Amino acid sequence: MEKKEAKVVVNHLTKKFGDLLVLDDLNFEVQEGEFLCIVGPTGCGKTTFLNSLTRLYEPTAGDILVNGIPVNPKTQNISYIFQEYSSFPWLTVEQNVRFGLEIKKTPKAEADANVEEMLDIVGLTKFRNYYPSQLSISMLQRVAIARAFATKPELLLMDEPYGQLDIDLRFKLEDELIKLWKKTGTTVLFITHNIEEAVYLSEKIMVLTNKPTSVKTVLDNNLPRPRDVTSPEFVELRNKVTDLIKWW
Amino acid sequence: MRAFEKNKRLILGAVGIFVFLCIWYIATKSTTLGKVMPDPVTVFGGFFTAFVEPIGTKTMTMHILISLRRMLVPYAIGGFTGVLIGILMGWYKVADAIFMPYIQMLRPIPPIAWIPLSIIWFGFDEGSKYFLIFLACFFTIALTTYNGVHSVDETLVRASRMLGANDRQLFMTIVLPTTVPYIFSGLQVALGSAWATIVAAEMIRSSEGVGWLIVRGQDIGNMTQIMIGIVAIALTGLLITTLMRVLENKLCAWTVRGK
Ligand SMILES: Nc1ncnc2c1ncn2[C@@H]1O[C@H](COP(=O)(O)OP(=O)(O)OP(=O)(O)O)[C@@H](O)[C@H]1O
Ligand SMILES: [Mg+2]
Repeated sequence: MEKKEAKVVVNHLTKKFGDLLVLDDLNFEVQEGEFLCIVGPTGCGKTTFLNSLTRLYEPTAGDILVNGIPVNPKTQNISYIFQEYSSFPWLTVEQNVRFGLEIKKTPKAEADANVEEMLDIVGLTKFRNYYPSQLSISMLQRVAIARAFATKPELLLMDEPYGQLDIDLRFKLEDELIKLWKKTGTTVLFITHNIEEAVYLSEKIMVLTNKPTSVKTVLDNNLPRPRDVTSPEFVELRNKVTDLIKWW
Repeated sequence: MRAFEKNKRLILGAVGIFVFLCIWYIATKSTTLGKVMPDPVTVFGGFFTAFVEPIGTKTMTMHILISLRRMLVPYAIGGFTGVLIGILMGWYKVADAIFMPYIQMLRPIPPIAWIPLSIIWFGFDEGSKYFLIFLACFFTIALTTYNGVHSVDETLVRASRMLGANDRQLFMTIVLPTTVPYIFSGLQVALGSAWATIVAAEMIRSSEGVGWLIVRGQDIGNMTQIMIGIVAIALTGLLITTLMRVLENKLCAWTVRGK
């Protein structure tokens, strides 16, 4: 009966860099609270897609609506974790995590609590007073993740955030992400080239074509949680997605 | 281990200076040209004696303090305006287009070339001296600040835009912190240039100051006084640049601690 309200609506999104057509008429919707994984071949325009979605790049054509209005990061609580690391070198770990909360002028008590919670989840409480130049790559990415989560965003965009982490930490942060998602009801768009990761995390998997990129298909992923990567259903879905990406 | 390394630096530096003083001493005693030069003992003796016995009308303390004030006033003005113009040029393309040609044209002119004009414009008093020293530091500070603003990391700008930062927040939380280390390195270099220009500034009628010691020494043919002036400039220069570095390390902890 009750249809969930569409959180994100993308109509005819097209992006060209000069003559290079990267995104070719993308159309899709993401429902409130959905966890969507986006997979596609390397260089197909996944990052460009998120950048256009958030208007860091001006789309060549098309509309993007969040909550029914044109997307605007200034007024909407969106967090975006970039593929490349982006911590502020002059701020300590703690100050980095607090950054978004200060920009948004969150009340101090609430900000304090969020920062503590996030530092604890990513395991950086002991390193709160370190500067980024003193941290390892994987710790830096945890800082970026904590910073993005700390504002409790209603829309969370993640561009291969776990690509460069070691496997233990990746598993841990994947589980944390699921926990946070369940707890907060955030809508998540998660880009990855790791199909197992996509199948493990998502409720829906969007497969993109090679350049010029359009939506090839969207698969539902109703595997029960917690998911077992060795179960036959899991392996079957994983193989299905793999074939979709390989098949040109 | 680190303490040893640090001491090693100090020891090597001290040995280097000692060797230099020895060569200087021997050269004054055993070469023909050296005979017209005072030896280091005379020079340093004269330098320290000057703290109690005045040269001209002032003791060494006063010479140094007067010169320091002559340098610090225009240095502060040059620092303030340099940072301001540098940020304006870095942030606004219009300001860049307007100011940059002037900076590029005026910067290569050595301060000493401005002496005649500065006397006409500002008279023989402190004004013209300030002007020369201002010129010696303003351009450096403006340009390094400008480079700082331009070195802002695009990813960080995008990150804070995504968190909803407006232009003012972007400036305060990203542009300024990025620029601060550049401003400091500009201030550091400019401090050296400003102090080095003190001799040129005190060529304009003066009756005290470390630069005056040299200019006056030349007029009366007193080689020892010239050398005392040089020592005074060198030691004071070392002192102020060291102080500046300590300040920088305090204020830009993130660039230092990571190294
Ligand atoms: N700012 C830009 N200017 C010009 N071309 C660009 C720009 N950004 C991306 N491109 C081009 O768009 C295409 C897609 O790039 P994009 O980074 O979005 O791919 P991707 O799917 O994120 O790749 P990866 O899997 O390596 O992260 C590439 O061919 C790239 O050269
Ligand atoms: Mg990418």
